Amino acid sequence: MSTPVTDPRFAEIESHRPYLLRYALSQLRDGQLAEEAVQEALLAALESIGSFGGKSSLRTWLTSILRFKVIDLQRRASTERLHFDAGDFAAESEDEAWLDELFDETGHWRIPPQAWSDPEAALEQRRFWEIFERCLDRLPGAAGRVFFKREILGEGTEAICKDERITASNCWVILHRARLGLRACLEKNWFGGTANAG
Amino acid sequence: MPGKVNCREASRLLSVACERELDTGESDALQYHLGRCLMCRNFESQLRFLRKAAKRLPSQD
Repeated sequence: MSTPVTDPRFAEIESHRPYLLRYALSQLRDGQLAEEAVQEALLAALESIGSFGGKSSLRTWLTSILRFKVIDLQRRASTERLHFDAGDFAAESEDEAWLDELFDETGHWRIPPQAWSDPEAALEQRRFWEIFERCLDRLPGAAGRVFFKREILGEGTEAICKDERITASNCWVILHRARLGLRACLEKNWFGGTANAG
Repeated sequence: MPGKVNCREASRLLSVACERELDTGESDALQYHLGRCLMCRNFESQLRFLRKAAKRLPSQD
């Protein structure tokens, strides 16, 4: 077998690392553990890249490998130590100061949402996805994680609440925050530019 | 006459509507607001777009 680094698909696999890390973070919450899971998954992927038939997308295939690593680490972590601290998190969802940054004292948008020109076309552009992922990474911890589970993995709110040990209304507050943050980031870094140019 | 909500509250209701059905009071107040507020209608379209984009992310190459 060739050494992994010489495989031409190394760079391609590597390019999915940020997405995979976000996935692992959404499941494990612990940065170090998430890094570990991704590292193990990428190594396993390089070893078995020959069996990847290209039926699904590379990312889907990598995620399925990662999923097993995550489950494995979760199992190990729960027998060893790791009791997730839900405290910080409830505080994060109850503090509404972040809304004051987006809305003035009469409840109006400080920066009004614009009409986005041709959002469908953005979905076909690689550069858009880079920005989308970067915007996801900028969401604060809980917002990023909950949004990822809810919208990207399509998990139900109930499962997320249980997992994160929060109430449904906390969950809605967090999702509201994530959506506002994400739309503002996309408008600033993608749609704003194209709209003004058009 | 439906209850009045401002943009801050309308944006919250629009987000909550992605999670559960709004009750009649909420829904009426939101629709009344949306009828008069282009900014919040923009936000509404953006929420739909976010959901669509997010669904595609896992298979993005």
